[in-house]
Amino acid sequence: MSISGKTAIAGVGVTAFGKLPGRSAWSLQTEAVKRAIDDAGLTKADIDGLLTAPPLAEPLLLHAEQLGGKLGLRTNYLSQKFIGGATAVALVAEAALAVEAGLCEVAVCVYGENAKTGLPMLFGRAQMGRGQAPSDDIAYGLAGGPIMEARAAKRYMNEFGVTEEMLGSVAVAFREHASRNPGATYRDPLTIEQYLQNRYVSEPLRVLDCTIGASDGAVAVVVTSSERARDLAKPPAVIAGAGVAANLQGLSDPDHYTSYPGARSAATAYRMAGLEPEDVDVAQFYDCFTSTVLITMEDYGFCKRGEAGPFALEGNLKRGGALPSNTSGGMLSEANLVGWNVLAEGVRQIRGESTSQVDDAEVCVVAGQGGFHAAHATLLLTKGAA
Amino acid sequence: MPHTLTELVAGAAPIVVEETRGYWEGTLAEELRVQTCNECGNVQMPWGPCCTRCLSQDLGSIVASGRGRVFSFTVVRQAIHPNFSAQVPYVIADIELEEGPIMTSNVTDCPVEDVRIGMPVQLWFDNEMEDAFHTKLRLPKFRPAKG
Ligand SMILES: [Zn+2]
Repeated sequence: MSISGKTAIAGVGVTAFGKLPGRSAWSLQTEAVKRAIDDAGLTKADIDGLLTAPPLAEPLLLHAEQLGGKLGLRTNYLSQKFIGGATAVALVAEAALAVEAGLCEVAVCVYGENAKTGLPMLFGRAQMGRGQAPSDDIAYGLAGGPIMEARAAKRYMNEFGVTEEMLGSVAVAFREHASRNPGATYRDPLTIEQYLQNRYVSEPLRVLDCTIGASDGAVAVVVTSSERARDLAKPPAVIAGAGVAANLQGLSDPDHYTSYPGARSAATAYRMAGLEPEDVDVAQFYDCFTSTVLITMEDYGFCKRGEAGPFALEGNLKRGGALPSNTSGGMLSEANLVGWNVLAEGVRQIRGESTSQVDDAEVCVVAGQGGFHAAHATLLLTKGAA
Repeated sequence: MPHTLTELVAGAAPIVVEETRGYWEGTLAEELRVQTCNECGNVQMPWGPCCTRCLSQDLGSIVASGRGRVFSFTVVRQAIHPNFSAQVPYVIADIELEEGPIMTSNVTDCPVEDVRIGMPVQLWFDNEMEDAFHTKLRLPKFRPAKG
């Protein structure tokens, strides 16, 4: 039995992104929920499921319970998930399962925090590389995402002859999309020359290869049955396929440098949806790093191994290219909402609401990745039957 | 509640836990001990509570030769952890040990520009340090192998 086509994202709520002084995480989360409900043309009374991702800066054991209380909800389903950057996509998949199984009818999935101006993401950063006994890699100066990722990027580039220009072409394409998005944090045009002059954080990754720092903001989506979604305010983004895969050995697994568990989560999603990579019109990758995008493109079957770099260099990730990607600017230029902004843009593409709208976008893939290649989640969104 | 990064991670020493005590005891004796499974023969790093291949908890260890190759690496130009700001640029590398497993460490004693994937390296042990509970240990590190 497949859940394909049976559920849909019927509402999206986003707050402003960036620096939002004076806003608490709770105020951002509840605003996004209200906006998502309003967007779907529903009322609070319709919501009977709540699924949350706890804030990175302020991890709360009982986040879902507390947020539900602040929203004044009584629900038939409640969940809290944290699998890093794969959470957004995986939480929507879980909501779809809950709705399809009859555990609830209308579920809201939400994440938000004031990581930029409020409590900074100290906890996450401080813990990075910790708990990996015995190496406890922080003792070697291994703290922070770029160092984690750079070793994979280096191995990948070395193996397939990927150049710095190829990495940079990802950042340039996504910035071009961000320049048309009034809500994006970085909108100034970026040239490959500027990219190549940008300083390194952890070689081969430059500042411009890394997701922008923490952003304040929140995103919520409403998931319900496709049948119900068809009668609501906005065109549904039908969940045609989903997959959540993990390889939890991290970089002690040599395969992990050049491939992610995304190869398996995407295969599950394609099989469920009855779709092929060729059917995908637009992609929203988890772009924590430019290198991550290239490797995911190969995992997802858009390019053969080692061919994503040249493909990106040819401009194929831009609007008008073969695979327009991260059309809001993504986490490299729009905001770092840990993939939730990337998910929201996937829904906008299916609705025809993007500031870099792809003509006749029928199928959009959304990727989430967490824990430095450990967990990966894939969602295939479609317009569904007319 | 701590408010700065420095307070939060006061000291960047590893934390010795029950499953890794034998590993860190090895470092004091200048031995790099690689964990082995007495059930299936799996050789693994880092140490854990069970064999990642067969889940047996009947585990032992062998002393590594100390020879390995750089599997991948990065030159850190901007340290996120304040304890390492004065050390940039420095190399974090994943070393493929002669015994098979990969471990993360530093490559020292050469210009950062000279580090390459595939480069042969040799183990050495850094000065003695203490974890948060005053357990003594030494960090295994690597330098280019001679010859
Ligand atoms: Zn075993």
